[in-house]
Amino acid sequence: MNHSRRTKVVSAIAGAASFALLAAGCSSGGTGSSSSTSSSGPVTLTVTTFGSMGLDGLYKSYEAAHPGITIKANNIDTGGNARTDAFTKIAAGSGLADVLAVEEGWLGAIQNVSDQFNNLKDYGADAIKDRWVPWKLAQATDKSGRIIGYGTDIGPMGLCYNSKLLKAAGLPSDRAEVATLLGGTSATWDKYFAVGKDYQKKTGKAWFDQSGFIWNSMVNQLPEGYYTSAGKLNVTENPELKVRWTQLAAANAAGLSAKQTQWDWNKGKSFTDGKFATFMCPGWMLGVVQGQVKTAGGDAAGATAGWDFADVFPGGAANWGGSFLTVPKQSKHPKEAAALAAWLTDKDQEVAAFKAQGPFPSVVAAQTDPSLAAATGVSAFFNSAPVSTILSKRAEGVKAQVKGPDDSTIQDQVFGPSAIALDQGKSGTQTWNDAMKLLDQLVVNK
Amino acid sequence: MTSTLGQEARTSPPASRPDRRASLTFKNKLGRLDVKYSPYLYVAPFFVLFAVVGLFPLVYTFVVSLNDWNLLSGPGEWVGFGNFAKELHDELFWNSLFNTISIFLLSSVPQIIAATFIAVVLDQNLRARTFWRMGVLIPYVVTPVAVALIFSNMFSPDGGLVNHLLALVGLDPIAWKLDTLPSHLAIASMVNFRWTGYNALILLAAMQAVPRDLYESAELDGAGSVRRFFSITLPSIRPTMIFVILTSTIGGLQIFTEPRLYDAASVTGGGAHRQFQTTVLYLWEMAFQRQNFGRAAAIAWILFLIIVMFGVLNFLISRRIASADTRITSRQAKRRLEAARADTAKTDAVKTDTR
Repeated sequence: MNHSRRTKVVSAIAGAASFALLAAGCSSGGTGSSSSTSSSGPVTLTVTTFGSMGLDGLYKSYEAAHPGITIKANNIDTGGNARTDAFTKIAAGSGLADVLAVEEGWLGAIQNVSDQFNNLKDYGADAIKDRWVPWKLAQATDKSGRIIGYGTDIGPMGLCYNSKLLKAAGLPSDRAEVATLLGGTSATWDKYFAVGKDYQKKTGKAWFDQSGFIWNSMVNQLPEGYYTSAGKLNVTENPELKVRWTQLAAANAAGLSAKQTQWDWNKGKSFTDGKFATFMCPGWMLGVVQGQVKTAGGDAAGATAGWDFADVFPGGAANWGGSFLTVPKQSKHPKEAAALAAWLTDKDQEVAAFKAQGPFPSVVAAQTDPSLAAATGVSAFFNSAPVSTILSKRAEGVKAQVKGPDDSTIQDQVFGPSAIALDQGKSGTQTWNDAMKLLDQLVVNK
Repeated sequence: MTSTLGQEARTSPPASRPDRRASLTFKNKLGRLDVKYSPYLYVAPFFVLFAVVGLFPLVYTFVVSLNDWNLLSGPGEWVGFGNFAKELHDELFWNSLFNTISIFLLSSVPQIIAATFIAVVLDQNLRARTFWRMGVLIPYVVTPVAVALIFSNMFSPDGGLVNHLLALVGLDPIAWKLDTLPSHLAIASMVNFRWTGYNALILLAAMQAVPRDLYESAELDGAGSVRRFFSITLPSIRPTMIFVILTSTIGGLQIFTEPRLYDAASVTGGGAHRQFQTTVLYLWEMAFQRQNFGRAAAIAWILFLIIVMFGVLNFLISRRIASADTRITSRQAKRRLEAARADTAKTDAVKTDTR
């Protein structure tokens, strides 16, 4: 074939350009992997969190204090989705962030593969391990004594209530009065449901949003939940669970449930429509309530939505949830990632996270920090409630429950559908039997 | 004439240039190899890609299904066909299969009927024809995630558009996300929204290949438009119809995105009571939430075999319909051929007689 000279020149240039592109593409991968040993080059750390952990505002100050480190943060909407995301990436062997937030509900499953997470003792965990509440540190330590996570928050439970609705029903609406109304330090679930029946009679409206969260709170309160302290499955063998399920069924029969879809709440409108008067509130849920009111177009800065936070919880001290920051072995910069995780869980940062979105610190010094008491952010939304003081009081006497490997499956997929069925009017016995059947299918005979 | 030219070429080989003949032979060899084997090289990239991306995962999934494989901790012990046996006895698996087939029937049947009629309409002499034809494809272009989120909002029981419209007409609100059949209808409507236009365009292309003279002659013979549709259009687009039915069967049995996002807040994919959990969604739950890869792989293979079965069934039915036609036409053609042969034999006999 006879090409013109011009064609030959053009094809030569094209060939050289594509070769150069190919070479550049291949070589950039090379420099990326070589920087894992030396931290002299710029490092980009990825962080994956979920829900409202309050960490988003802290990354900028870390980047400013550590030039050369860029933080790429990703926040997943719910803990359930974060769990699916984390599990998928652990199985795939790649894709996990350098710093990964893990919730205590699925920490049990993570502990089963704790060898895929860095032992933070190699990166200075021993020096800082006394900063946390002892049971929090114990949760993050695996069977061979490796510390795989730094605790961020714990979830001491208080009661969120809508003061406007209670006032309209003729019930006391002041924080202290509500606490006394429900029994104060000797509050029980029976008293809570009794007050609820009273409210329902007076207004015809529901008392709580849906049975699922009530059930979760009841279970988390028990000294032994779905698993014994030794880690054995404990659902059918645990009489306390059946007792509480019957209580919940009776409350449903009295019309106390607003039958909401959890994590949807009609796009937040149920918080502003007055569909229910009380809500289960561990520390991290405070930010969620504020967020839902904001989504519904309500006042998320001031207190006109009417939500308040009382220092009382039916059944006494309870802890629901709490997270950890882990450094997976997939990370190419474990040293920098561990340093970032340690910084994010330090006293000042946990206080800042609390001020931003309300998750209660697990670091002892942060819990007793006086600046925690200042009414900012979340506090202002809850009618200037002394949120931190209340949560500190609610954290007293909390004992961590042992969470087994299938804990979140049991909570979400065994009892979840039955709680929804309770809301829809099915009987307590029927729904309990359905749950036991699902337990067999999903957990026992899996 | 060509033979003499060739002979000339052969009788004048440059005997004084043996090198040229030697290199010519080598080039000839290459040329022959090129003609024989380069077609295989040209199609090789596709098959290499298929082997890597399609065949290998298929075989590997089968290997995984024979083991007790945990998502996080990796392969366990060999269980042979234990996972398959467990799945065939799994109530939740059969529930998902029921949901899948229900949604498939609710979506594919109206979809193909609607696509056929839309294609007929588009085939007519419309004004701004290209606009209508492109417009019908827009639902396909919209990403399925966005469609699912919008439809999920529309079918929301509390303030959704559909329940609002029902209330306007005076009907009770339907629990679109809780009851089984309404949720299937809602998901089927999402699938139909996306695929009707696409199928309509494929059928339109087939319809446009039908020669117009057939329609004209039928019209002259007095056939109405409905008669023309059933007797000319449908039989002529039969192969394309088979293709459309087959692809929508395969797609319909694998629906995942729509049920997954229909109730985004639900932790269990497919509704709390698995009202609209399709088989692929159940597979995903088994793999990534219940962390049981072995059983999930078994579900994948069982679904694969079911789809193959549906495909073969489809093929046999459509072949039978098609061959019934050809049998008739070939019978008629045979008779006509006999008659024509008899005619020519007669005329030949007459010719030979007169010669």
